[in-house]
Amino acid sequence: MVPGARQHVGNWPGKTVEKKEGSFSHKGVPLKLVDLPGTYSLTAAAEDELVSRNFIIEEKPDLVVDVVDASNLERNLYLTMLLLELDTNVLLVLNMTDLAKEKGYKINIDNLSQKLGIPIIATVATKGKGIAELKDAILKAAQTRITKKNALNYDKQIESLIDYLVAILTKDKNLPAKYPLRWLAIKLLEKDEQALAVAKTSAVSRELLEVVA
Amino acid sequence: MKAKKVLGDDADIVLADARYEQISKIIEASLVKGERKRTVTDVLDKVFLNKYVGIPAFFALLWAVFQFTFEASAPFMGLIEMLFAWLSSLAAQIPNEVVASLLADGIFGGLGFILSFTAPIFFLFFALSLLEDSGYLARVAFVFDKLMFKLGLHGRSFIPMLLGFGCNLPAIMAARSIEGKKDRLITILTVPFMSCAARLPVYVLIAGAFFASHAATAVWSMYVIGIVVAILFALLLRKTILKGEPAPFIIELPTYKMPTLWGSVLHMWERGVSFLKKAGTYLLVGAIILWVLSVLPWGVEAGSGDSLIGLIGQTLQPLFGPLGFNWQIVSSLVFAFLAKELVVESLGVIYGVGGEASIQAALVASITPVSAFALMVFTLLYVPCLATVGVIKKETGSWKWTLFAVLSEMAIAYLGALLIVGLGGLLGFS
Repeated sequence: MVPGARQHVGNWPGKTVEKKEGSFSHKGVPLKLVDLPGTYSLTAAAEDELVSRNFIIEEKPDLVVDVVDASNLERNLYLTMLLLELDTNVLLVLNMTDLAKEKGYKINIDNLSQKLGIPIIATVATKGKGIAELKDAILKAAQTRITKKNALNYDKQIESLIDYLVAILTKDKNLPAKYPLRWLAIKLLEKDEQALAVAKTSAVSRELLEVVA
Repeated sequence: MKAKKVLGDDADIVLADARYEQISKIIEASLVKGERKRTVTDVLDKVFLNKYVGIPAFFALLWAVFQFTFEASAPFMGLIEMLFAWLSSLAAQIPNEVVASLLADGIFGGLGFILSFTAPIFFLFFALSLLEDSGYLARVAFVFDKLMFKLGLHGRSFIPMLLGFGCNLPAIMAARSIEGKKDRLITILTVPFMSCAARLPVYVLIAGAFFASHAATAVWSMYVIGIVVAILFALLLRKTILKGEPAPFIIELPTYKMPTLWGSVLHMWERGVSFLKKAGTYLLVGAIILWVLSVLPWGVEAGSGDSLIGLIGQTLQPLFGPLGFNWQIVSSLVFAFLAKELVVESLGVIYGVGGEASIQAALVASITPVSAFALMVFTLLYVPCLATVGVIKKETGSWKWTLFAVLSEMAIAYLGALLIVGLGGLLGFS
């Protein structure tokens, strides 16, 4: 079996508007990489974010490599949260750890990994540090998908809303194969354009819109 | 069950808040922030990101860029020009009159002339690559973003605008990363005012002829005027037909890095080579067509008022009378609708061989310095090239907006040039 790993790299806006593809092999296993537009979020309103999001939903990559600036975790982990909500297999790469050190940050990677429920690799890409470990980790993570509990639980009321919507969504036989239902329920609550469009054409549209509208 | 009862009207914000709350909890447990060392980046950003100093510092750096471009490229321009003058004199000796004229006047006179401007284009790209690779350009986007947001515009637009300095095409495409249809449209409609590399030869030729030691400053002023007009036009659109509220955006500021010579040369080459490719294809075909138009009907003096090119120019010249443009300039502007380099190329064909100095002398003899500056402004502001029109159509998906873009750019260019002529008159220049 050949697992295909796809890479997701952050960038400043304006640089990558479209996805780019490449491939390499590691330990004899061929890997296909797709570089998606770098974003901080995954809303339906911006085209680059939508490109990334649709790719993940439609192509269901074996692994999403989320490369973030280690010196700016507060901002960058938001995307990680969204990726986890999308029910993807995520490998988090803390890049620019040299800079984080310069800023005086001490990151407890084991703790962070455990809290998020995903593997983490630290790198300094400009100096080639951690790249060998990264390749190993990509291979391992792409082959062994870890089933994790939700990294983020909302408060009780919101969670029961989500459960209620998921129960309705399950009734439409077409949806579960296409979308992670918990994600779709959350997006419906956010009144996400794309999610609302899906809801409107679904067999359970009336029930859904009754809750959301 | 009603979602609204639990989440209120701004469910997306409530959920985003919950995510950030979770993130800060996680970070609190896994990250210790120790003593922060003051880095080089902090010190430089004190200046470059400063509310008051940031934008003037950018314009000052840009001025230095043009001084460098002018000084460094002058000897190379001379060399390339000598090469083509020599080739042209060789070609003139070919016995077949038509072939001799096509090669001497069309190819070497027109295309060769524009090729001598390869030097300033490459040096400009080199200087801009240094600024980009050092991490500075991201700061420029940041300071302009703040200004534009205050003006009610989408700050993210300035990145496509900066890309526009190289070529407007990828810049217009980069507007895709902008949220909201209206903000995207505003960006697409304003990017063409950013002075792309194709316009540089026109400025260099004219500024060199009329403004001598202030030539680099005159060229620099085009880039400044381009930015100012783009922002003013964006404001106008925002207040009239594309009303709305801007969304704040975050930009990642990389740390400053010492740019490497090799890296910047590579960057320069990647961008500059597209100009050479254009010269080998479109501009070559352009030179041939211009030459044909300049010698037909066969027998007239090449490039004179009796040739086809002369007739086109003379027919439209009255429109440009108030700006003080002669028919030679008017016909070059007509062809430059296809690509801006054609201004230089057609002047080369019309005024015949003899290189930069003789064409500059002919220009100085026929228009005033004020009209010359107006010509630079006109070139800056009107439709960049046919390809941009195509991309605007593709990106807006609407002929209506494409037509609007073309017409508004023409009108703004004409008004801008007229304003220069008027101001020049008021200030007593002539």
